[in-house]
Amino acid sequence: MSTLTDLMTHDHRQCDDAFASAERHAGRGEWEAARGALELFARALCTHFDAEESILFPRFEEATSMTHGPTQVMREEHRELRAALGRLQDALEARDADEYAGEAETLLIMMQQHNMKEESILYPMCDRRLHGEREDLALALGQRLAAGEPAEVAP
Amino acid sequence: MSGARRTLGYEATPAFHIPLSFFLAATLFGVGAGLFLLFHPDALDSRWTPGALALTHLITAGFMLLTMLGALLQILPVVAGASIPAVRPVAIGVHALVSTGACSLAWGFMAGSPAALQAGGGLLGGGLLLFLGAAVLGLRRSEASQTTGRDLRIALIGLAATAVLGILLVLVLSRGLALPFAFGPLITLHVAWGLLGWGGALLAATSWVVIPMFQITPEYPRWLTRFWAPLVLAVLGAWTAFDLLGNELPAWAGSMIPMALTALFALTTLHLMRRTRRPNPDASFRTMQLAMACLLGGALCTLVAILRDEAFWPLAAGILILHGGFVSAITAMLYKIVPFLAWLHLTQARIKAPHMKKLLPDLPMRRQLRLHAITLAALLGAAVVNWNGATRLAGALVALEFGWLAANLLGTVQRWRLTRQEAG
Repeated sequence: MSTLTDLMTHDHRQCDDAFASAERHAGRGEWEAARGALELFARALCTHFDAEESILFPRFEEATSMTHGPTQVMREEHRELRAALGRLQDALEARDADEYAGEAETLLIMMQQHNMKEESILYPMCDRRLHGEREDLALALGQRLAAGEPAEVAP
Repeated sequence: MSGARRTLGYEATPAFHIPLSFFLAATLFGVGAGLFLLFHPDALDSRWTPGALALTHLITAGFMLLTMLGALLQILPVVAGASIPAVRPVAIGVHALVSTGACSLAWGFMAGSPAALQAGGGLLGGGLLLFLGAAVLGLRRSEASQTTGRDLRIALIGLAATAVLGILLVLVLSRGLALPFAFGPLITLHVAWGLLGWGGALLAATSWVVIPMFQITPEYPRWLTRFWAPLVLAVLGAWTAFDLLGNELPAWAGSMIPMALTALFALTTLHLMRRTRRPNPDASFRTMQLAMACLLGGALCTLVAILRDEAFWPLAAGILILHGGFVSAITAMLYKIVPFLAWLHLTQARIKAPHMKKLLPDLPMRRQLRLHAITLAALLGAAVVNWNGATRLAGALVALEFGWLAANLLGTVQRWRLTRQEAG
């Protein structure tokens, strides 16, 4: 009953790992490694948003006729998260460790409260409302996520 | 507008001043508890002194309850999909009733005033009824199906049970109400429901989500998150039914399983936190670890207190669980919640917000948390030596610790206000 919830939650955790890797390198002043790790994180995060916005959310909106419902809120938060990611990248380019730490903390909390809403409310709603087609949807989402997922996050 | 949008969107977030007013008022109760200890050092002679009861309720019904209710108003929409109806008037009513109730209850214990005790019980009961009624209405509309939502409901049941038992105790103490069951076990049940059924279940429900997500640790084992809170509810429910039917359990038998459950939660959390993938754990992370270690120590002291007669053990259990466990965990969480809320409200107002570490710099937070750890040691030391000078010092440190916490939170509010003003 929780195919979509499990799949998308697992991808959130993959993004978390990439985020932590970048934060660890930046914390040690390993700026080149941090740049590589942050690129992997940015790719994983943007691929996740893209999969939701182009595959999952439209199907949910179609099935429920809720175009101004929870998916709209999530889209707005994606926009804010992309902006926060941009600020984090700026801090990395400036090699400003304090700025990076502050922006990373902000992005993490914002991202996790967003993930919390998706994992506890939106994804379970998707699993219920899209019950009949969730296997096909999971396959399509899985393929899209795999296309942008970093193969391996550097330790 | 759909129900899900109401709970997920910014519209569901109460205005900044609503949770903030709960948090700041809560710190005043902490300052009050410290000053009380400074001027009444004999409160720590035993857990049964009127002063100790007043002190306990300043922390539990004052600091802990206010912060937990304020945080719940904020997180129920996010993690449980509950849209609290009429959140502003409900929050004002709950805040006023619980604050005055906690003051009155503490005064009732201190002064031995039956009228103040009754007023305290009535006001607290009214505040909790209002809060629980609004939460139940919100949760009825919720579409959330996750473990955390279920465990938050269990915590609310624990809160209701604690309140009912507390009001019964007030009626026995102040009006001589005759109960068909023994008075002693009723106190133990009130404490067990309050600390484990309410506080513990709320802390666990929050930790299931917050620890793995914000500290980037592995998930809690699924069997633990699935069974821990229902088991707490079942054990406390069975214990209560057993006692109220007149079959008084030996103290060790009643305490053993709740203590084992507490230890299991604390040990698992410590184990997970050791496996964080975030670098350089900050002071709030260390304080959360301290909280778990203290819950573990408090559970052990509770067991020793059953086996031995010295007044120290129950006092140490209380200090470790309340100050070391809950105050640590709550303070660590406040340092994450308040700057994030300031940031969120600025961003939603389309104002460029400073990042979290500018809204709440690390240094004052780290220093305050260090003082918190020193205060814990001073409280335990005062309980060991049982000397008024040591207790007065511990009291002064408690007041200073909570005052500093308030100052740090107000600093964030000040930066939030300045940013708004600069943005016009």
